Amino acid sequence: MSTVTAPRTEPGDQGARKGVKPPVSDRARAENSLGRKLVAPAIVLMLLVTAFPMLRALYLSLFDYSLTAPDDRAFIGIDNYVTALTDGLFWKTTANTVFIMVVTVVVELVIGFAFAMVMHRVIFARGLIRTSILIPYGIITVVSGFAWQFAFSNTNGFINSWLPFVGDDFNWFAEYPSSIAAIMLSEIWKTTPFMSLLLLAGLAQVSEDMLEAAKVDGATWWQRLTRVILPNMRAAIMVAVLFRALDAYRIFDNIFVMTAGANGTESISFLTYRQVIEQFQLGIGSALSVLLFISVIIVAAVIVKVFRVDLAAARQEG
Amino acid sequence: MKQKVGLVVGVLFVLAWCLLPVAWIISLSFKTQESVTVGNPGFFPAEGTNAGLDNYRSVLDNGQFLDAIRNSIGISLIATFLSVVIATLAAYAIARLEFQGKKFVLTMALVIAMFPVVSLVGPLFDMWRAIGIYDTWPGLIIPYMSFTLPLAIWTLSAFFREIPWEMEQAAQVDGATSWQAFRRVIVPLAAPGVFTAAILTFFFAWNDFVFGISLTSTEAARPIPAALSFFVGADPFNRPASLLAAAAVVATIPIVVIVLIFQRKIVAGLTSGAVKG
Amino acid sequence: MDPSTTGTRTSARRGRRRRGLAAAAALVLGGTLLSACGSEGKPTLNWYINPDGQATLTQLAERCSTDQYDIKINLLPASATDQRTQLARRLAAEDSSTDLMSLDPVFVAEFANADWLAEFTGDQAGQAVDDQDTLAGSAETVKWEDKIFAVPQWANTQVLWYRKSLAEAAGLDMSQPVTWDQVIDAASSQGGTVGVQANRYEGYVVWINALIEGAGGNIIDPDTAEDGRDAKVTIDSQAGKDAAAVIQKLADSPARQPDLTTSNEGTSLGAMYPADGPGEFMTSWTFVYKNYVDLLGQPGGPADEQQLDDLGFARYPQTVQGEESKPPIGGIDIGVGAYGKHVDWAKEAALCVSDPEAQLELAVNDGLMPSRSSVYEEQRLREAYPAELLDLWRQSIDSGGPRPKSAFYSQISNAVQARWHSPASVDPDSTPERSQQFLEDVLSGKALL
Repeated sequence: MSTVTAPRTEPGDQGARKGVKPPVSDRARAENSLGRKLVAPAIVLMLLVTAFPMLRALYLSLFDYSLTAPDDRAFIGIDNYVTALTDGLFWKTTANTVFIMVVTVVVELVIGFAFAMVMHRVIFARGLIRTSILIPYGIITVVSGFAWQFAFSNTNGFINSWLPFVGDDFNWFAEYPSSIAAIMLSEIWKTTPFMSLLLLAGLAQVSEDMLEAAKVDGATWWQRLTRVILPNMRAAIMVAVLFRALDAYRIFDNIFVMTAGANGTESISFLTYRQVIEQFQLGIGSALSVLLFISVIIVAAVIVKVFRVDLAAARQEG
Repeated sequence: MKQKVGLVVGVLFVLAWCLLPVAWIISLSFKTQESVTVGNPGFFPAEGTNAGLDNYRSVLDNGQFLDAIRNSIGISLIATFLSVVIATLAAYAIARLEFQGKKFVLTMALVIAMFPVVSLVGPLFDMWRAIGIYDTWPGLIIPYMSFTLPLAIWTLSAFFREIPWEMEQAAQVDGATSWQAFRRVIVPLAAPGVFTAAILTFFFAWNDFVFGISLTSTEAARPIPAALSFFVGADPFNRPASLLAAAAVVATIPIVVIVLIFQRKIVAGLTSGAVKG
Repeated sequence: MDPSTTGTRTSARRGRRRRGLAAAAALVLGGTLLSACGSEGKPTLNWYINPDGQATLTQLAERCSTDQYDIKINLLPASATDQRTQLARRLAAEDSSTDLMSLDPVFVAEFANADWLAEFTGDQAGQAVDDQDTLAGSAETVKWEDKIFAVPQWANTQVLWYRKSLAEAAGLDMSQPVTWDQVIDAASSQGGTVGVQANRYEGYVVWINALIEGAGGNIIDPDTAEDGRDAKVTIDSQAGKDAAAVIQKLADSPARQPDLTTSNEGTSLGAMYPADGPGEFMTSWTFVYKNYVDLLGQPGGPADEQQLDDLGFARYPQTVQGEESKPPIGGIDIGVGAYGKHVDWAKEAALCVSDPEAQLELAVNDGLMPSRSSVYEEQRLREAYPAELLDLWRQSIDSGGPRPKSAFYSQISNAVQARWHSPASVDPDSTPERSQQFLEDVLSGKALL
């Protein structure tokens, strides 16, 4: 689950302020100090609950440390990292996670865009649509996982009987392709509404005049979409992609509920969870935690770089 | 005309997409437990296997589930309250004041919002067991801050940006005291934003699963998503699908109620100023 | 911006903030108090139970409460792995409120090795394990380094359940020991199925272990199992290949149930009395009998007495023709948390909830069989179950093939699951070998699980 509420930038306002050093007066100093005091609790808390445990993970990752044999704790340097990075399972789960991320984000983008178009154009039943679309968004991910797991179940579900090309006793959770499809559908179902709302906001920014002008010039529907609408929504799309991708990269709940990692459906988060919480291997588990953190940063950097996401548009300047 | 038909089809598709799985889980919750153990495929309960409200009665009779509801409501509300209060201060400063490190706060909130929570559970578990808040409410409320706080800061600073703060001065010029100006002008303008941020934050806290299963082990603090994943029914070997469905429906009711009442606000909150090209 | 208004507003804000924080603090405190209640008056011993036989266990907790303490039931999740995780997390946190716990026997070694369990000594040790009475298979599960760390409460084993009419139609003589090959062939020849447990979970390891043991081999050399990380892995053997061959045969057979790769004890229950078809052969635990008796005339159960009579049972199938099978051993041992405030009382309570009377109740009410031989002679039990079935169970428990007794059992089990799941991928030529390598790497900490 994620949300983006990128504060609106006001270019004019910023242009005026940028580069102009505020005169250092008592008032400015007081404001500076007040500002810092007001944000201090938030900063301290955020660091306390993330940076501090992360540093602790970094420290623990240098030990061979199992909670079931706490007395045998021993410093082993970077051995845990070597073990993890040379292990096929680490790369397999990473590949699986990236696969889930790419497929779900692409599908969500397409469906989400269609939803946004519908919501943008529709003049009737707006409240109903918006209420409906918020339900998957607000529903607990675990519940979404259950709903789809049971829907795909060959003993109690309905999907087998609705789909003409699968047998009634087809077991979706027997093999990788079908189980990963079920997991991804659950993820896509739950997060598409969020994507569509972001895109809807982007769509609202596309000027009707421009579209009208294009229409007058004889542009086809497809041309209007690719030449006018999409380019003007670029920032919205890219930010939505960035946020959803990073969220998808952390996928855990659906997998836990639907397959518990069977058939190679394990994600990198799930692998880490199992080392730490199920196996009590805090040493190697912490190493995986650190690697997971680093890989999230890499994914973010790659997306920003490759898609040239204009983070400034999402970040409040000034 | 053609466009209109397309639009109607589109609307129907959106509604089906969003509501069909919800209808399914409700329908499943009416299948009897016995029939589910044996196998009861199909969207609706097979003939003679309609449980009526039995599953709901069992769920509301289940001490562990009731504890989980209590935990989820309590923990989510406290986490929401704390993060919204702290975030309001920060967001006010960000929207209203000029100070050094402003960018840093927002960037940090953004980075932390993207933080892989699973990375935190190992060290947190190790620390919590050392200081004795493992499997307690504070043991969940504190880590919840890692995602509720950045979310609240972002939402609130987006809202506060939109507030015409000059109106306060205008009110004062018109003779109101600064307290009156604040209360009559700023509070009504800021309240919807604070409220929306609170709703979104609450959704997130309510949804948490990773911390919920990792940092609890009994009904003393176990929240709903974790409790659902451990739900035991009449058949100890399989998940009691219909009972779970009933529990899931119960767990979803607060969300639906909030959505029904505050639909406009939530959409505004999710998209408020979301990215200008 | 006017500094004076900012100042006023800030102080107004500050007032609000203070009140807000106070309210928050009160809420947090309230939460803490709520979650830490129940400390006044008579001490409460917390007993973490697994979901089998809840009603009887609740009665036991009442009966075994004394003037000095009350026993309170806390329910653990359904799967053995989750149960272990929940308990181990509490114990790793040195939780003082974990007094009694129902343990799957395979986890006693790990818990004892981590010093999480209180040892039973002196007279209490003699009561926990009565050499004259406690069945060998159960007694072995509570010992670690020759000390006693738990009390066997009930014992479990698997037998082969089947429809007599199905075996008869296939011409399979059930009066003699049968092999897995014969069972699979018999089922497929009549359009019946074979029910096993092959989801990626502990139950699958139960099956794999029984197959390997039945072929005269072991996953881990039992003489070295207690050596922890230095244990000798012996899964890559002829026995391992024989076991893999059985799994492969079933996975490729028409007798395979559709949900084979996600099957557990519950999924195959319904296939015994299907709406149409001849039913199944199924290896499963003792609870099965009571389950079908209770389902008489209901969906999923026998339609009538005649169909119930058609339910047959026989010793667990042989992996290799002529080699005696080694049925799986399970059950529950009651352990006492080492960090509890009332360890002595908890030991007393553990003995009480596992005494012969308790075992009889569990057996009669819930089909959870006694770990003490003498209880099998009780009249009430003899009335509740066919005599041959009771004898078969007792024999099976006494001659069963336990799972590796290692402080690293959980890793071993997970490693086996990782290489042997899905059953459709099992190949006698490669699976045992690959799992041997992986198990060695996992035990020596060189591979991720």
